[in-house]
Amino acid sequence: MSVLDFDRVTVTFGRHTVVRDVSLAVPEGAVVGLVGGSGCGKSTLARAAAGLVPLAGGRITVDGGSPRGRISMVFQDPYSSLDPRMRIGATLAEALPRRTPDRKSEVARLLDLVDLAPDRARMYPHQLSGGQRQRVAIARALAGDPDVIIADEITSALDVSIQGTVLNLIRELHRRMRLTVLFISHNLAVVRYVSDTIAVMQEGRIVEHGPADDVLSAPEHPYTRELLEAVTP
Amino acid sequence: MPRRWLNPTAIAAGVLLLAVLVMAVVAPIVWSEKADAVDTDQILQGSSAEHWAGTDSLGRDIFARVLVATGLSVSLALAATAIGISVGIVLGTAPMLFGTSPAGVRAGRLVTAFVNILVAFPGLLLALFFAVVFGVGATGALLAIGFASAPSFARLVHTLVAGIAERDYIAAARIAGVGRVRLLVRHVLPNIAEPLVVNATMAAGGALLSFAGLSFLGLGVQIPSYDWGRMLGEGLGGIYVHPSAALAPGIAVIVAGLAFNLFGEALARAVGLRNPSARPHRTPVAPAVSTSDGAAVLAVEGLRVSYGAVTPVRGISFAVGRGESVGVVGESGSGKSLTALAVARLIEEPGHVSADRLEFQGEDLRQPKRAHRKLLGTSLAMVFQDPMTSLNPTQRIGRQLAEVAEQHQGLNRRSAWARAVDRLRAVRVPDPARRAKQLPHEFSGGMRQRAMIGMGLMGTPALVIADEPTTALDVTTQKSVLELLRELREREAVALLLISHDVTVVRQVCDRVLVMYAGRIVEELPAASLTTAARHPYTRALVAAVPDMDTPRDRPLATIAGRPADPAALPEGCAFAPRCPLADERCAREDPPMVAGVACWKAGAVIAPDLQKRSEAAS
Repeated sequence: MSVLDFDRVTVTFGRHTVVRDVSLAVPEGAVVGLVGGSGCGKSTLARAAAGLVPLAGGRITVDGGSPRGRISMVFQDPYSSLDPRMRIGATLAEALPRRTPDRKSEVARLLDLVDLAPDRARMYPHQLSGGQRQRVAIARALAGDPDVIIADEITSALDVSIQGTVLNLIRELHRRMRLTVLFISHNLAVVRYVSDTIAVMQEGRIVEHGPADDVLSAPEHPYTRELLEAVTP
Repeated sequence: MPRRWLNPTAIAAGVLLLAVLVMAVVAPIVWSEKADAVDTDQILQGSSAEHWAGTDSLGRDIFARVLVATGLSVSLALAATAIGISVGIVLGTAPMLFGTSPAGVRAGRLVTAFVNILVAFPGLLLALFFAVVFGVGATGALLAIGFASAPSFARLVHTLVAGIAERDYIAAARIAGVGRVRLLVRHVLPNIAEPLVVNATMAAGGALLSFAGLSFLGLGVQIPSYDWGRMLGEGLGGIYVHPSAALAPGIAVIVAGLAFNLFGEALARAVGLRNPSARPHRTPVAPAVSTSDGAAVLAVEGLRVSYGAVTPVRGISFAVGRGESVGVVGESGSGKSLTALAVARLIEEPGHVSADRLEFQGEDLRQPKRAHRKLLGTSLAMVFQDPMTSLNPTQRIGRQLAEVAEQHQGLNRRSAWARAVDRLRAVRVPDPARRAKQLPHEFSGGMRQRAMIGMGLMGTPALVIADEPTTALDVTTQKSVLELLRELREREAVALLLISHDVTVVRQVCDRVLVMYAGRIVEELPAASLTTAARHPYTRALVAAVPDMDTPRDRPLATIAGRPADPAALPEGCAFAPRCPLADERCAREDPPMVAGVACWKAGAVIAPDLQKRSEAAS
């Protein structure tokens, strides 16, 4: 059964078609990796799913219904994704559902999920390191108890030494909570490490999609082969 | 930071503004009686000991009246600014509040267009128009000046909001279901408050002047009330007989206007530009002691880069041989980019570079000499991370390359252009003669980076310093740019200093790798043995932390515990000790020296699996 479903989705900006007729299913409890070069439309696809960009055609559904309020997102730049004027606790509390009884303990639980001490709730983003901010962003994404999490290049702005901890966290959370994740990155090695299936996107189209091992060991599309060649020295 | 406030202008402006505001509150209470006292014996007197600024046509003391008028003048100016800013915020945020639905977007555009038209009118013209609409009098003038200042506030707010609205935290809040009004109040307004307050302060000064103008023309405050503008108007008639009657309110307007504007300027400087606070003292450079060995293109010994009390590069030594390719890896903040900039003499004040030896092509670079400019210009090429910002967007690529040859090699325009085309060909830009005529935006990221490298090759460089040249590029383009660097090295016998946070990139191109941590080189080793023979625990962790196509997927990635060292607060012993799974007491106490290519007391020691585990949990 698929949770997040893109059905012939097209997104245009003015006269430019950025996403063309994309169909992609993200099954429940799976991590689907989406790779492609910059400008291939992968981030636009993510923003469309989160309702940040209007569709020009097709449909995006979660469990067959509207994706509204059921998708959360983690962004690339941990420096721009947290409000600099808001304490971490307030940022997390804002993302909690309206009728959460004990917000304070819920915030503490979220921080604990991403291995941050509960006293971080009183801090401002500038008091945290890039990796810690990205953890907060992941905690915020978990706050609304979403059906699907979209991770858009969440490690590309981080140092390699911190990238590892964030990837481990995503894997760990996935294992523990059966999260459904659409993991977007230009880095094939990173996508390979976390994903069950891999979709390759080029110029607004998905050119190949299959189980991670198949796509990497027996790529069918020339662009996939090109990507693979680029990372193997 | 309080010290940013402590400059004479800011203090003077603050004191002046405070005085004006206190006067606005106090004067009407204290001097009202004196200001209103009619004395028919003393009509239109000049200045005297009793009446400093003379008296008016009813014999009232002008100085007292000027002081009392501060209250009305300043409060009207502030009220007008408040109206302007409120209306401005409403108009400026309207496009955002209307939302992204097609109808909302259309309504938003309409508001923006309306504001754009209003901004085009001169403020005073608008004020006069509104003054006629709202009727003559203080209220009319207040509304007039308030509404007249609204368009520029609306424009400002609109621009600021547009900048904030693109931030990811706004998108994140929208995804979390935060409504537009709450979004505005909680996320947008607090983040645009600073520039808004600064502009409001200056606008208050402007409003004060406008009020004086309107009242002077008889469109503002009416009898029996009075403000500075009306007093100025009344006094002007007799300016040749009793100049003080017009000068006193005039001076008051200038002082109050200056107070607001200067304070606004000071505020702007305090929140915006951060003045470099501490200037480092220049330490005299020791005379060169070394003999230059002919093999090295670049020889560096004891290089230090400091900013005030902080020293991000703490005495590093290395050499780059002719045609050799050396990589520098490390986390951000390790000092690797500063090292590159220091070598290219690009560190600017307040940064300060010192070295025991800094030789490029046998030339001592430590003494500032004009000749170095030519040497560096022709023999050293620098490639930066972001090719979009390193090229001038308004100039053709070929022209920008040719300029280098004209400047440093004295070629004429035509042959410089020919060389530019030739160099573009050398960096594998297809159809170079045509592409040379294009502008940077017509080039893709990879092509721009090639053009940048081509610019470096306009001379006959002995060394190319590339600072994260592929970080902003796609994986596929990244590979081709790295291949280009490798190829150029072989073909043109250029040495390469490649700086990157990515171990895999360095491994692909370099012969030798320098690993930097906290401003020091902690290990130096052949690139080929990075994965197999690294001895410093930091190098090993750095290599293991990057997943490659063979990383086992069922095991967690190795990570480096803790945070990168803060150059402002380094530990006493080894800087890496707090994060190191092998560290013991000695590591915390004594800084390890560089011995046989590695600076570590525990070099090569086996990292037990359980220790590795511990370091993961701690991060």
